[in-house]
Amino acid sequence: MLDVGRHPNIKLLAYSELERLEGDAGNFTATIRRKARYVDEDKCTGCGACAQVCPTPVLDLYNEGHAERKAIYSWFAQGIPSTHAIDPDHCRVLNGKKCGICQKKCEAGAIDFDQTDVIIDLPVAAVVVATGYDVFDPSRMPEYRYNQLDNVITAMEFERFLSASGPTAGHIYRPSDRKVTATIAELEKKVKKSQKALDRFEKTHGKKSDEFYAAYTDGSLKPGEDLEKDQDKWAKRVEAHLENANPLAVLKEKAKGFTTAKKIAFIQCVGSRDLRFYPFCSGYCCMHSIKEAIIAHEHDNDTHTVIFGMDIRAVGKGFEEYKIRGGNNSNISYKRSRVAEITRNPDECPVLIYEDTREQKIQRQAFDLVVLATACGPVKGAQKIADTLGIDLDRFGFFKTDPSNPLDTSRDGIYVCGCAHSPMDIPESVAQASSAAARAAQTVIKKNDQKAS
Amino acid sequence: MNTHTLTPYEAPRIGVFVCDCGSNIAGHLDCPDVAEYAKTLPHVVYVKENLYTCSEAGIGEIKKAITEQNLTRVVVASCSPRTHQPLFSSSCAEVGLNPYLFEMVNIRDQCSWVHMGTRDAATQKAKELICMGVAKSAGLEALNEIESSLIRKILVIGGGIAGLSAAQALGDMGLDVILVEKTASLGGLLQQVHQLDSGVMAKEALSQIIDDVRSQSNITCYTSATVTETGGYIGNYDVKIETQTGLVEEQVGCMVVATGAVPLIPEGILGYDGRQVISLMQLEQLLQRDKLDAKRVVFIQCAGARTPEREYCSRICCMIGVKNAMLIKDKYPLTDVRVLYRDMQMYGTHKEQMLWDARGKGIRFDVYTPDNPPEVENGKVTFFQAVTGKTQELDADLVVLSTPLVPRNDSGKLANMLRVPTDQNGFFLEAHAKLRPLDFAADGIFVCGSGRYPATSTEARTQGIGVASRVAAILFKEKLVKSAIVAQINPDACVGCMACLPMCPYEAITYNRDKRICEVNEVLCKGCGNCAATCPSHSAMLRGFKPQQLLAQIGAA
Amino acid sequence: MTKDILVLGGGIAGIQSSLDLAEMGFKVHLVESLPSIGGKMAQLDKTFPTNDCAI
Ligand SMILES: Cc1cc2nc3c(=O)[nH]c(=O)nc-3n(C[C@H](O)[C@H](O)[C@H](O)COP(=O)(O)OP(=O)(O)OC[C@H]3O[C@@H](n4cnc5c(N)ncnc54)[C@H](O)[C@@H]3O)c2cc1C
Ligand SMILES: Cc1cc2nc3c(=O)[nH]c(=O)nc-3n(C[C@H](O)[C@H](O)[C@H](O)COP(=O)(O)OP(=O)(O)OC[C@H]3O[C@@H](n4cnc5c(N)ncnc54)[C@H](O)[C@@H]3O)c2cc1C
Ligand code: SF4
Ligand code: SF4
Ligand code: SF4
Ligand code: SF4
Ligand code: SF4
Repeated sequence: MLDVGRHPNIKLLAYSELERLEGDAGNFTATIRRKARYVDEDKCTGCGACAQVCPTPVLDLYNEGHAERKAIYSWFAQGIPSTHAIDPDHCRVLNGKKCGICQKKCEAGAIDFDQTDVIIDLPVAAVVVATGYDVFDPSRMPEYRYNQLDNVITAMEFERFLSASGPTAGHIYRPSDRKVTATIAELEKKVKKSQKALDRFEKTHGKKSDEFYAAYTDGSLKPGEDLEKDQDKWAKRVEAHLENANPLAVLKEKAKGFTTAKKIAFIQCVGSRDLRFYPFCSGYCCMHSIKEAIIAHEHDNDTHTVIFGMDIRAVGKGFEEYKIRGGNNSNISYKRSRVAEITRNPDECPVLIYEDTREQKIQRQAFDLVVLATACGPVKGAQKIADTLGIDLDRFGFFKTDPSNPLDTSRDGIYVCGCAHSPMDIPESVAQASSAAARAAQTVIKKNDQKAS
Repeated sequence: MNTHTLTPYEAPRIGVFVCDCGSNIAGHLDCPDVAEYAKTLPHVVYVKENLYTCSEAGIGEIKKAITEQNLTRVVVASCSPRTHQPLFSSSCAEVGLNPYLFEMVNIRDQCSWVHMGTRDAATQKAKELICMGVAKSAGLEALNEIESSLIRKILVIGGGIAGLSAAQALGDMGLDVILVEKTASLGGLLQQVHQLDSGVMAKEALSQIIDDVRSQSNITCYTSATVTETGGYIGNYDVKIETQTGLVEEQVGCMVVATGAVPLIPEGILGYDGRQVISLMQLEQLLQRDKLDAKRVVFIQCAGARTPEREYCSRICCMIGVKNAMLIKDKYPLTDVRVLYRDMQMYGTHKEQMLWDARGKGIRFDVYTPDNPPEVENGKVTFFQAVTGKTQELDADLVVLSTPLVPRNDSGKLANMLRVPTDQNGFFLEAHAKLRPLDFAADGIFVCGSGRYPATSTEARTQGIGVASRVAAILFKEKLVKSAIVAQINPDACVGCMACLPMCPYEAITYNRDKRICEVNEVLCKGCGNCAATCPSHSAMLRGFKPQQLLAQIGAA
Repeated sequence: MTKDILVLGGGIAGIQSSLDLAEMGFKVHLVESLPSIGGKMAQLDKTFPTNDCAI
């Protein structure tokens, strides 16, 4: 990936969008909007000092919302380019408030709140469309209660949990447990603060707060001069303290039982092969569920997973073997079934309700965590991209091609590859990317030859 | 380019960069401590710990230090040289430090990963590895990359849709192509196919491409021809082709393997007899000749596939089964068509749509499991139907066995001649299953189509066109430039024992009869070091890994 | 007449296209809407079928 950033023939225009495309194959003019980063690309070294000091937390979408980043950020740690950007929706200065802390911190002097979008025109001979896909939003399927159940997550969220640099540093903690842990941390902060206030009283009066409070409430307090004056205040403080300390104790007790998720279910075809949503198959999700199950098992050998699907589509080179190996070595079982509904038991465990086709009965089974293999849909804004480029979409919403010319869109000189073409895995995307490159190169060579002759 | 060659009188100035790799390394060993330690090593004048050394910022730090600190050696302690060495050494080159004066130490795979949970041990091992790396780096020599010429002509072996597409695309890019097809006609397997899933007749789709290929003046097609010998190396292959009119000798810069695969003939499987129980390919021919006469047709998928002896899924036979089931239903609507399957592999948009359409036309699909496979006997198919829990019996006038594509039985021979590997199933093995699907590990040789793995004609065509891009990335360059880390055989010391010769996996060593010594072809050599490890007279050695350099490294341990 | 090529989208597909074209000697403009390239693959922990790290 870094090769791209360094290749002398590649000009990287990140944080940019295509606004317009005019002309014809061999002779297009592309108008690009380079969005304001509010950070000078030539000066920023990507050191990240600014993000450390920025006081404004923002939900981190790279981590699928399971972590926070700052208003000044890089999309991910090894990102190319490493130039930081300021999120104009959240930065205080850009929303008319006082701050500028990052600017003071930046030794490179890279931060520039006056930066504006820049529009550039590029003459290009051909275009390769590789705008990829977006995953299906499972909250559109009410029966899986994605929004209500913390421990029902998408495969992409699970990828982030598996990652050593992800929000859980690679440990599969359940989101409901993480919520509790986060609440504990919050309460602990408050309790620490209120304890400090109590400490002062305790020191002055040489008495423990709980002793004092017990006496205060049952009226056995023998007031001395000073205490007389302070007792109501102190009691109020104690009450305020307990308001947090009591639930904290309860939560801490609960958290003692937390372990990583050991029983995991994968539900296939979420939003795909479903006439309500996408009728098509996403091609890669059977495989990524198997992969995620294998990795989860690598992290913790006690992990058991069940993959619920109609078919297990393992059609690439070595995939069937990968699937069998997963079943044999990684405690994965494959169950042919479409899960009808997910509910919950008191332990926050999602409960799957499904028909077991083998046993022919309705089953209910509880898991620690459920992972939804959400469909690969057309990229958000596909219609707009199609309009800008003047190309057609197919009936499924991907950029249209013809099976006998599989890289060519409906407009001469514009080619498509990867998941912008249709759902496919990385090996297929890479092979297709080379093909689209060849088609683009042919156009350039042919058009230049025509011109020359 | 080399501005820093060490003279015996000049002490090296070594810079050491210790990478945290986020928490991948720093989480398991004490990076600041390791960095402190590195400062104490001989000739080390600069040490820096980076969060991610491979990030742009990290690379920037290295470059800055080389210029500002006037470093003459750089050591990075991070991850695997396999993935990151090229990046770091070329970054050094960008600021004028000879890339061969760069040394890498792997403290991720060799320390933090293997010693997870034992922080002190991991830290200690990292220190030792760095100490060794620094010692070796002090003795490194500046080397220059090897350059060689390129012949802008390509040999494509196999004239199916993949080979044709590759030839067409390469021709369109202005390169010369020699297309060699073993049989008398171009087109491969598709010539026997009736109608494609796209609705186009296979013959028509083929003839369009064949006409175009034949009309291009820079493409030479040899049919009824085979490649009998290949030699040389990337940019300069010598090939011999036996054609109808005699032996042709050619020189080419790259070679493309597009020899396809063949459908399994299901002898001995599920009652195959070639009449009532036939293969998918035979069905294509019945349809082509309009000779189908059956009221009840049963397709059985995975016939001879996904079994213990042939584990892989052939990817395309589900689609072909469904395509033909629909063609039958369209043409003879009263025919009862059923499909018995294990998993319907209708991946992607278009194929899954075919499955919806097939169900809509009244074709019935039933699952069977491999532990309870169907049986075919006397016009009856019996199978265990999981949804009802009953064993069902179907009358069938015609049973169609969907058999997988299997490697050609002569593909091993071709692989040997080209010195490229095949996988456990006998398909050609690409360089990297995910990131280099069309390359062989040997430079200059590429693969596409069903010879790599079963592919639909659209996929085979895509891969064929893709190969053109991979080839052009080499042949559009002025000349070939490759790593200087190659073996050297000292002509004065070599005793000509030829011990090294069979050790070289790239066949880079030849025996010079006149001089009675072994010689290394620098372009073929990949720097694996096998020869150096074998040579009894120590005359074979690897540049950048010479004994004195390695001894320094080991001495430091 | 120009020989430059525009690649829209910096996921693995756009990256591979750009690298191939650049190696062929064409000048490539790679436009990515997010602040960094990498696409979905950059979010993945390890990837099938080789299970090595995504980036
Ligand atoms: C029954 C059936 C139906 C099908 N229907 C469809 C369909 O509807 N749609 C679809 O998309 N795909 C279909 N396919 C798949 C299609 O046939 C393949 O995708 C296509 O043939 C693959 O092309 P290829 O060039 O890789 O290999 P092939 O077509 O196998 O071509 C390889 C060529 O290389 C030649 N060759 C082999 N060895 C050598 C050698 N050593 N030297 C020189 N030449 C050599 C062979 O003679 C052959 O001409 C079908 C396949 C089958 C079996
Ligand atoms: C959970 C999960 C796990 C997976 N695991 C694997 C695996 O292990 N192995 C495997 O082979 N495959 C896996 N895949 C599939 C893999 O993600 C895709 O095959 C691959 O990412 C496709 O790459 P792409 O470049 O086509 O698309 P993308 O990765 O989506 O890249 C498209 C790029 O274009 C940019 N873009 C979008 N719109 C615009 C615009 N208008 N202008 C400019 N830029 C734009 C996007 O920001 C993005 O950077 C997985 C998928 C998921 C969801
Ligand atoms: S903006 Fe400044 S502080 Fe922030 S990463 Fe860039 S150089 Fe560092
Ligand atoms: S100015 Fe904006 S980006 Fe900078 S520190 Fe303040 S909130 Fe963060
Ligand atoms: S790949 Fe598997 S999970 Fe994904 S849509 Fe297809 S069948 Fe469903
Ligand atoms: S494609 Fe279908 S019939 Fe062919 S091996 Fe795979 S599952 Fe079996
Ligand atoms: S180093 Fe390896 S590839 Fe090079 S000649 Fe020696 S054995 Fe052959």
